[in-house]
Amino acid sequence: MHRRRVLAALLLAGALVVVPEAALAHGLVGREDLPIPKWLFLYGAVAVLVVSFVGLAILWPRPRLEQPSQRRIASLPRLLDPLCGAIGVALFVLVVLAGLTGSQTSTNNIAPTFIYVVFWVGLAVASMLFGDVFKAFNPWRSIARAVAAIASKAGSKQLPAPMTYPVWLGRWPAAAGILAFAWVELVYSGRGDPSNLAVLALAYAAVQFVGMSLYGIETWNRYGDAFGVYFGLFARMSPLHWERGTLHRRTALGGLTTLDAVPGTVALLCTMIGTTSFDGFQGGPLWGEIAPRMTDSLHDIGFGQAAALEIAFTIGLITVVAFVAGLYRLGVWGMRNAGASRLSTDELGARFVHTLVPIALAYVVAHYFSLLAYQGQALLYLASDPLGSGANVFGSASTTIDYTWISANAIWYVQVAALVLGHVAGLILAHDRALVTFTEGRVATRSQYWMLAVMIAFTSLGLWLLSAANS
Amino acid sequence: MSSLPLAHVSHWLVQLLYVVPVVIVVGALAITSIRDRRAERSMPDPADEPAVR
Repeated sequence: MHRRRVLAALLLAGALVVVPEAALAHGLVGREDLPIPKWLFLYGAVAVLVVSFVGLAILWPRPRLEQPSQRRIASLPRLLDPLCGAIGVALFVLVVLAGLTGSQTSTNNIAPTFIYVVFWVGLAVASMLFGDVFKAFNPWRSIARAVAAIASKAGSKQLPAPMTYPVWLGRWPAAAGILAFAWVELVYSGRGDPSNLAVLALAYAAVQFVGMSLYGIETWNRYGDAFGVYFGLFARMSPLHWERGTLHRRTALGGLTTLDAVPGTVALLCTMIGTTSFDGFQGGPLWGEIAPRMTDSLHDIGFGQAAALEIAFTIGLITVVAFVAGLYRLGVWGMRNAGASRLSTDELGARFVHTLVPIALAYVVAHYFSLLAYQGQALLYLASDPLGSGANVFGSASTTIDYTWISANAIWYVQVAALVLGHVAGLILAHDRALVTFTEGRVATRSQYWMLAVMIAFTSLGLWLLSAANS
Repeated sequence: MSSLPLAHVSHWLVQLLYVVPVVIVVGALAITSIRDRRAERSMPDPADEPAVR
């Protein structure tokens, strides 16, 4: 048993050695003038994690988050839900129309900036701050609800009941959806083409309508709609919770402890972290050396240049996702042995999967903050001229992106802070869950050595990827 | 393009600084686990102790 543990420990340590340096793909960051080397920030971050771990072991003897309480703080007007839905539908129509009929230069069309910056990154941060706002603005959910309401009023017959959602399917459709979106964003050669994005958005909406009609609107939204699930997970970190026309306040992170870890949840979280990691990795120098070799090899066996490039990047994307999944699995395996748990590794992995949610958000913030800070400003001129046709609806079409409003140092500090806070949040959640999973406090703490190692490994990986930016 | 990835050894060595904390923590973890197991094994089994009358 000891030999297996040492082997596992060596694997965990060695895992990071084999991953090469990477850089931010979307990072538009100037060169920092930091007072200390970047790698020293990692040592500081690790010190924070270790101190947090010790502090939790001493000062957090009983679970506090497992049964979160919430307090109603406001009632919401009944009109708000359909109003938000209508806004969501209008934005969806605007993006699709802009993509199909507007300028096909990506920077002149609102579709790429809206999808990759406002939607994918901005909404993730908004969900963490304000709760599940996407649920209210979700265009396909709003259309489905409107259609269902009209059909039930107009039709003489009762609408057929939805099918029972298969337990085995769990969040696998969401995991596949997020992987597919990441593939489009990071691998697909036509990712910047507004018309391609519009067609893909329509195709995604069509899949959602089929899913909702088969399994019910709310059930599909909870498990099958990739973006509904993605933003819903981040919303569970929020101290705000919207439910049936009321706004509740609850303990921050408390919403995560009630996450039902159905099949596919671990895969979804590993996909979320892994795809963001690959985005950093693929901008790094080593991938810059490996990718051409892979592409040349694929080209030599008969693939076209574009297809070869896409296949190489697909392999890289899946490899990094698998690496993240392996790292988490290794930590859970060690935790199981250290805690002498009767639960299987799969069961234990599911029980602790909610600890990965703050890490996934930390990776998103750390990786895409500069994109949001800079490219997010493009929305000002794109709102006035969404199709790139020369319009000036709000009088802001001539505005430009200000690259000086935040310094490169400030961006680095935000990135480091996001990673540290995300991993400390993960440690807190893991410690709290360990106290109810392993009955004896000492065993619970011992089991969490492994989660500490996992958190440090993810922190090292995250800072390593970031450090390569502009290096 | 013609150089192997392993050719940039000095560059890689700098990057190893990012692995050191993981190695230290995992090493400490492994040592602690081994010590815990040994301590558990060396503790007397309650079943072997004479019953108090």
